[in-house]
Amino acid sequence: MSDVVSAALSRLSQVPGVRSALLVDAEAGVPVASELSAGVSGEAVAALAASLFQRTEQAARDAALGGLGSLQLETEDGHVVVAGGRQLIVVVIADRDAQLGLIRLETDRAVEALR
Amino acid sequence: MRRGDIERLNEVLREPMRVFVRESRAHIALLVNGSGQVLAQHGFVGRYHVMNVAALAAAANASARVLADLTGAGRWQYLHHAGRSRQLFLAPFVTPSEELILVAIFDEQSTLGLVELFFQRFASEIRRLPEFAEVLPPVSASAFEGELEAGLDRIFAPQQSGEGS
Repeated sequence: MSDVVSAALSRLSQVPGVRSALLVDAEAGVPVASELSAGVSGEAVAALAASLFQRTEQAARDAALGGLGSLQLETEDGHVVVAGGRQLIVVVIADRDAQLGLIRLETDRAVEALR
Repeated sequence: MRRGDIERLNEVLREPMRVFVRESRAHIALLVNGSGQVLAQHGFVGRYHVMNVAALAAAANASARVLADLTGAGRWQYLHHAGRSRQLFLAPFVTPSEELILVAIFDEQSTLGLVELFFQRFASEIRRLPEFAEVLPPVSASAFEGELEAGLDRIFAPQQSGEGS
């Protein structure tokens, strides 16, 4: 794992409330690097998050809203934040009461660092 | 090698194959056994085409297995070929009765990760089927050839004019 990737993942994982963080190859939908909590399938999350991101980006373009920066899912028990570009996407899984502002900030920083 | 139960297998495999294709967004999918016998397919329109792909899939699986042995890699998981517009995914999995091979062809509407994810779910479902629970006794080559022809006839009989499983 390169220093840049390692540092980006480490910063994201240290945000309070973050359960798992992944860097995903957007085109292949496979994890490049990850820090996962127990019971989380990195391969499954990577595949589905990449698919979701691509579909949402397509929807945004079809709606004449331009490219997609990030998307956020709210679930019963937490949040999933996905952000990125053409090559790599960042996926963060966080507790329901996590500080989403901080997570968004660190996610954006990770995306910038990986560009 | 399968024998006279091919017709029932085609029926049993129809739904898992349909779900795999829908969820993975693959365009073409083919399930064969280690002998290259076609058990299920989606998206092929020609009998000749599916026979070629089935034979090549069985050969690729056999070659990859030997290569894995030679290099000490143990079992191989999948073969992925990324073409310019289409990608090929070929993966073996073991059931109690025999080894099976899934071949899927997909484009930019899907990803390797998505196909691999739903392949794992497909394989798990097939392993649970009672039709794949018992070890099969060997059959003669001539009987196998007859079943291969009959199996292809059954697979292509209902949809000669278009795509579908």
